[in-house]
Amino acid sequence: MEITTNRREAEHRGKQATMKPEPSSFRLVDKSDLAKGLFALYFDLAGEKVNKFNPDTMMELDGLLESMKTRDDIKALVFLSGKENIFIAGADITYIQAVKEASEGERLAKQGQSVLQKLERMPFPVVAAVNGACMGGGTELALCCKYIVVSDAPGTKIGLPEVNLGLLPGWGGTVRLPERIGLQAALDFILTGKTMDGPKALKLGYADACFSRYGFEAKALGFGARVARGEKISRPARKKPLAATVTSALLEENPIGRAVLFMQARKMILARTRGHYPAPLKILDVMSKSYGKPRGKALEIESKAFGELSFSDVSKRLIELFFATEKVKKQTGVSGARLQPGEQIQSAGLLGAGVMGGGIAQLLAHKGIPVRMKDIDLKGLAIGTSAATRLFSDLVKKRKMTRREADIRFALISPTTDYSGFGRADLVIEAIVENMDVKKKVLQEVEPLLREGATIATNTSSLSVSGMASACAHPENVVGMHFFNPVHRMPLVEVIRAEKTSDRAVMRIFELSKRLGKTPIVVRDGAGFLVNRLLMPYLNEASYIMSEGAPIEELDEAVLDFGLPMGPAHLLDEIGIDVAVKVAKILHEAFGVRAEPCKLNDRLVASKLYGKKTGQGFYVYDSRGRKQNLNPEIYKTLGIKPSAPSKARKADWIPRMTYLMINEAALCLAEEIVMEPLDVDLGMIMGTGFPPFRGGLLRYADTVGLKNIVTKLEEFEKKFGPRFKPTAPLVDRARQGKSFYS
Amino acid sequence: MSDYANASIFKEGPEVWVVDGLRSPFAKSGTVLKDMKAVALGVHVLRDLLYKLSLAPKEVDEIVIGNTGNPEDAANISRIVALEAGIPKERSAYTVHRNCASAMEAVSQGFIKIKTGLADVVVAGGTESMSNLPLLFSKPMTELFTKLMTAKTVPQKLGVLSSFRPQFLKPIIAIQEGLTDAVCGLNMGETAELLAKENNISREEQDRFALKSHERAVVATESGRFKAEISPIPLPPKYDTFLSEDVGPRKGQSMEALAKLKPYFDRRNGTVTVGNACPITDGSCMLVLMNAEKAKALGYKPLGRIRSFAFAGVEPERMGLGPAYSSPVALDAAGLTLKDMGVVEINEAFAAQVIAVLKMLASKKFAQEKLGRSDAIGEIADNVLNPNGGAIALGHPVGATGARLVLTALKEMQLKNIQFGLATLCIGGGQGGSVVVERV
Repeated sequence: MEITTNRREAEHRGKQATMKPEPSSFRLVDKSDLAKGLFALYFDLAGEKVNKFNPDTMMELDGLLESMKTRDDIKALVFLSGKENIFIAGADITYIQAVKEASEGERLAKQGQSVLQKLERMPFPVVAAVNGACMGGGTELALCCKYIVVSDAPGTKIGLPEVNLGLLPGWGGTVRLPERIGLQAALDFILTGKTMDGPKALKLGYADACFSRYGFEAKALGFGARVARGEKISRPARKKPLAATVTSALLEENPIGRAVLFMQARKMILARTRGHYPAPLKILDVMSKSYGKPRGKALEIESKAFGELSFSDVSKRLIELFFATEKVKKQTGVSGARLQPGEQIQSAGLLGAGVMGGGIAQLLAHKGIPVRMKDIDLKGLAIGTSAATRLFSDLVKKRKMTRREADIRFALISPTTDYSGFGRADLVIEAIVENMDVKKKVLQEVEPLLREGATIATNTSSLSVSGMASACAHPENVVGMHFFNPVHRMPLVEVIRAEKTSDRAVMRIFELSKRLGKTPIVVRDGAGFLVNRLLMPYLNEASYIMSEGAPIEELDEAVLDFGLPMGPAHLLDEIGIDVAVKVAKILHEAFGVRAEPCKLNDRLVASKLYGKKTGQGFYVYDSRGRKQNLNPEIYKTLGIKPSAPSKARKADWIPRMTYLMINEAALCLAEEIVMEPLDVDLGMIMGTGFPPFRGGLLRYADTVGLKNIVTKLEEFEKKFGPRFKPTAPLVDRARQGKSFYS
Repeated sequence: MSDYANASIFKEGPEVWVVDGLRSPFAKSGTVLKDMKAVALGVHVLRDLLYKLSLAPKEVDEIVIGNTGNPEDAANISRIVALEAGIPKERSAYTVHRNCASAMEAVSQGFIKIKTGLADVVVAGGTESMSNLPLLFSKPMTELFTKLMTAKTVPQKLGVLSSFRPQFLKPIIAIQEGLTDAVCGLNMGETAELLAKENNISREEQDRFALKSHERAVVATESGRFKAEISPIPLPPKYDTFLSEDVGPRKGQSMEALAKLKPYFDRRNGTVTVGNACPITDGSCMLVLMNAEKAKALGYKPLGRIRSFAFAGVEPERMGLGPAYSSPVALDAAGLTLKDMGVVEINEAFAAQVIAVLKMLASKKFAQEKLGRSDAIGEIADNVLNPNGGAIALGHPVGATGARLVLTALKEMQLKNIQFGLATLCIGGGQGGSVVVERV
């Protein structure tokens, strides 16, 4: 059991301690110069940049609280962080990841609960002074203090994000947060994992005071001094609008109302997750059971549920994913190499101001990078400026920034119809029409204007980056930067390394992508790169299935049930059916019989039904691009008669579509298109929304078992044709009894 | 009194080049640019200009911007434009206000800074959004608010409120105040009326001048002549169309249409109409001035060099005559005469006012009585004066026009290979300002 191992470890370290004292993570400081009996306790995790709870620190805190319990010279204690811009990032989840059975997770929760309960029961008042990130266990610790004071720093973010890892707050969060801010508000935070800043925390009643970030510590200690002197500190009266008071009385304060509240929340969660994520449902379950129960009983319900979730597959997958994205944050895109200081992209030129170009410009400007945006005429430019404006306006509407902040950022986009100013850019991104000859011509035009060593990135989704680079005098500066549509929402960037691309160019784009808030993966140049290469067989197979008469909506629904965010017909409409057909053709040329395109979509292209952008495809779209009903003419246009599938046939849908992707992914790894299975999984999750709870495509493959997949593919090959022929690398792995991750 | 004519600054020191400039299209206030604040107008043009020149913002030492209706949310607007346009925060910036000549003042400030070695690269320009000038509360209303804020108890507050009178709500219209001379009490239009009457300038003469302004501006627009100086600007709130031409020039403008307009400032006996006066306008204009050696080192070719400038005072009620006072001084300082000028840009605040200036320049009597010179300054040939039209057609964004005149003159000189040019304007409050430029 992990806990005991850790204890053993701790004991082991304890033995060492006789020789070298264990560095302490807590520091108790006498602040009686401010007020008699005032003490400050600083949490400053030794050897780490951020404060995290692990069994050792919890044990140390426990001992410290035990020793302070009996000290009558302490009149008040202020709990502070010794780190800058961070209070407590939460519990170290490596310990949770190692949990192998429910009882073990439960014990982890109970251990934390008991320490925090000790804090809650201290004989003197404790003030939590929160400045900077305060997550999970940090938020729960503060809830055990009599007072919470927060800073107004933008970095002060308080929340319980456990649900995002398939868990629930296990140290009393589900019990104490509703006590503090009300059941409805608490549910909102615990079910979504969203955070509140300082002013919001004050408004919701989580905090008792919100101080300026400048001189925060002094003000927090001043607050502590008032507490120590025994001054009466009344909570600022929360001004609740009448409506809120009424709803709270109706919903929260009577059992029937609460039942309604939980029922509604449950309905909403099921609609959104289709039951794939157990954590939010468990949270509802726990909170409905524990509400109003005595503390001990309530905590017991919580810890038990935590234990169950902590060893669930979904949680394991989500935690792996979390670590994977953390790992990317530390990478540079080239193993063992680092970007020289001063080599980061500070300014950009953008060619092609379409909706995609405008989206890229907006993203750059949003992150403070000035962009010179070019298109051939003002009409073309206006598409880009208006697209960028819309995105900024949405952020203002959502209160992510003020109008003024948006205006300042928007002004970073400077439109032009000539190449002037491109000589100043560190990077030029090309987002013009997908045509090799045009792209080559434009790159040839722009390259001589650029400063030495400027990076040229192409946002192509289907053309060869090496081919484009061949038109340039310095192909080493040419790299792919493949954003996904819509740019502001899709978190993936494929950094395409062409034959001659330099390490520097790869690292510059990798670093920039991270700064833009995206997850980059390095992909070797090749038809379809990674994500489209894997996605196309899936979409192609969906077309085959439809051509066999599968009802379109039923197919989309089946895919949603599998956990993807969108059905294949709907996705084809989004991508644009003309584009999909074009890409399918390119892949067919590259991969032959494996990528034999289904002819079905050609009919839609022939009738100019391109999907969302033309208002009609498989579905009908309103003027604002929102999906309406199924296109009533669709079956006629496609020339097929829909018929309800047999159960067995329907059961093949998902395997047919996903196993083809797995089959292709095995080949991608063998061809070193990407280096690790993790790249495939990140790419598919971030680029296509492949269900995170399944851990990505290859984790899913490992769960199914490669042998099973090969068997099934062979069966499909006989039934549906040679496109299903298992690829050699997949067969090899299966034969050797290996999984992708082993 | 400043002795511009003998000042050493025009004879010694480094050459000051105007490397290039750009302006926004000009638009009548309350129309297409109304949603663009003065800051945004300035930032757009400056960013575009720096890109056009491929000039790294860190090369800019100082930024001086003219602006008259200081936006309430942009104290020292120059600094705000500088920061938002990407000029490093370590650089300094200041705003100048010489009314209609604010941007010309910015140009002369840049000239002085470079001449004296305080700077090598100066952005000089102006930005004005007359659409965004506010309505203000009257003094009694403002006082009532102040008292209300300090009143503590309810009875006190009620007491203050009871002093309220409906006329307190009558707003002060900032733009109207701004266009009225604070000393002589005349509105700018009324000063033009005065010049028309004193100098027997007929309505027809004025309308004919206005018509020519439109005709020339239309030609300059349609031929693409203005493309060289205009930075197309995407229009808020949706930014889905670009404005790339001035809004003012009217293609179908005619004497008949102009004749139909009623005198605006003197309804009964007047001759000045909205048709022969410049409209209230939004716009901005930016120039980059450089020490010639620095410019050469950076690889730039100039539009031209600044030879001299001068400002001179005149009676506030005859402010329109300003150019007749300042131009001879500036020409003296440059060691040149009016007939050397291949292009003259006189700002067309009012047709009557420009015509009066032309008359004064040509008048021996004026030269003797007002300037203490024996001979008339000279005449300006029709094809030399405002060859691309002027403010009557294009508009007059007060804080930006001074730079626009210099830019338009220099672009014309470049196009037609003209050696010398004069840009001059009259200044509300009773001043004239002039700049003499030369092709290098």
